[in-house]
Amino acid sequence: MFSYLLPCRAGQRIISIPTPPLDRLHPPPFSLPLRPPADAASAVPTMANSLRLYLTCIRNTLEAAMCLQNFPCQEVERHNKPEVELKTSPELLLNPIVDEQCISRCFSVLICRNEAEKCLIETSINSIRISMKVKQADELENILAKKFLRFLSMRAEAFQVLRRKPVQGYDISFLITNYHCEDMHKHKLIDFIVQFMEDIDKEISELKLSVNTRGRLVATEFLKQFI
Amino acid sequence: MILLQSPSRFLLQILQDRVLSGDKGVDIDCHTVEFDDVRYHIQFSMRNPKVMVLSVALPLPPPEAMLYDGLPLGAIEAIKAAYGPVIQILDPPKDGFDLTMKINLTKLPPDEEQRNAVLTQIASVREVVLGAPLKLLLKHLASKTVAPNVDKLVALVHRPNESFFVAPQVDKVTVVYPMRFQDSIDIVLATSFLQEFVEARRTAALNNAPSCLWSPAPPLELKGVPSDALNANAVVFPRHVEGKKLDKTVWSLLTFHAYVSYHVKCSEGFMHTRMRRRVESLIQALDRAKSDAEKLKKLVNGGSFKRLSLKNDGNSRQ
Repeated sequence: MFSYLLPCRAGQRIISIPTPPLDRLHPPPFSLPLRPPADAASAVPTMANSLRLYLTCIRNTLEAAMCLQNFPCQEVERHNKPEVELKTSPELLLNPIVDEQCISRCFSVLICRNEAEKCLIETSINSIRISMKVKQADELENILAKKFLRFLSMRAEAFQVLRRKPVQGYDISFLITNYHCEDMHKHKLIDFIVQFMEDIDKEISELKLSVNTRGRLVATEFLKQFI
Repeated sequence: MILLQSPSRFLLQILQDRVLSGDKGVDIDCHTVEFDDVRYHIQFSMRNPKVMVLSVALPLPPPEAMLYDGLPLGAIEAIKAAYGPVIQILDPPKDGFDLTMKINLTKLPPDEEQRNAVLTQIASVREVVLGAPLKLLLKHLASKTVAPNVDKLVALVHRPNESFFVAPQVDKVTVVYPMRFQDSIDIVLATSFLQEFVEARRTAALNNAPSCLWSPAPPLELKGVPSDALNANAVVFPRHVEGKKLDKTVWSLLTFHAYVSYHVKCSEGFMHTRMRRRVESLIQALDRAKSDAEKLKKLVNGGSFKRLSLKNDGNSRQ
């Protein structure tokens, strides 16, 4: 009965983006939701390219993972709790992630673009949790990311699907329950999450650029006075 | 406004209004505060509408800064030289202030342009008072000598309880600013700004500007002074203090710290505006997902389905 669980007993699947995703000699243990175009697989992924791959992979995984249904709590009557947070029973967590070729059962997928940027998707029967870590190359980026994400977390009320506190080890988390899926279009919700990830990266690099530009202008104007 | 202006706008406005208003006398008694905790107290009385009593409080001096009667070195002479007969210094100053002056507006030059120049100079009294010792040192640099009665390292007050250091030599003057910031984000932003100063100096157009450096450790000139701050230093050469440039240089050096922290705060404010806008656009993206679904729900309830009722149920059975 449990034999189909064996290949992923650890319960976690790791997808790493920069390594060539398809290797003909050694097929990966799991079929990946990611299907890059043939030319992209042969070329070394550039920065923009690897971001696209990363986001496509997240999108496909979310599409596969977001099959949520109403599920009342098994312990307390008339309660309905997100199981991904409570983790009361493994059978509620081992939600199948269905992709094109097989049904694999795992309760979390880790998608890495590189060491600094990764996205963890945890599933359960009635809720899904998406946590992400944002690139922080230097101290300025680190401060900007921290500030911006704190700013967002404080407005979690307005975002509904945003978790007020990120999962440990990550910068920001979403918690999507079956109610959210009922209220909103699933594909648009996925669009939102992917856009969110894209926007955060863009915003942080733009903020950094604007700080540096301002600094240069400020310095130039000051030093001009002495000439 | 990228650069900080030395005349206080508030003070200048009051002075100009008073000069233009003629003989109508109104009592004015007001206080105002400028950056770096410089406070002004302005008084006009009904009896003497053309005489203003201006009191100035300077930032609280740290122990290492040298003061003479509560004023920086050479301040009294600088005031006398700058304003001449228009101003009379009252001794002792008002309680809580470091300097009190009586300004006689009837003694202003009649020509409008000259008058405005004098009024602007009165409004920039902080530059005259606080910049006096620095001006003295830089004047000696312009003539390539060292002031006789000055130590190797001079501490000058520029912010409450903080001072910057000047090391005068015959051919150059090194100015060192220890910069402390309370907030960690301020530190990071200021660091990147200071780095931009170093890099901007390297461009061809600014090759003649004073050389700038910064480091987290105090420089050689500051040996023995305990410091836990970022240290920015600038080296000023005689070519920067020639002729008319002297006043500008004094003001720029005096307000370097304020200038950097002003822009640090400005860019933080700018970041907040940006982030707020970004949050709005993200919420809109989320709403797009939602509103469609709600529209659909309305449509469903709007009458596409017939409601089942007991009556209908009963009829069908018959």
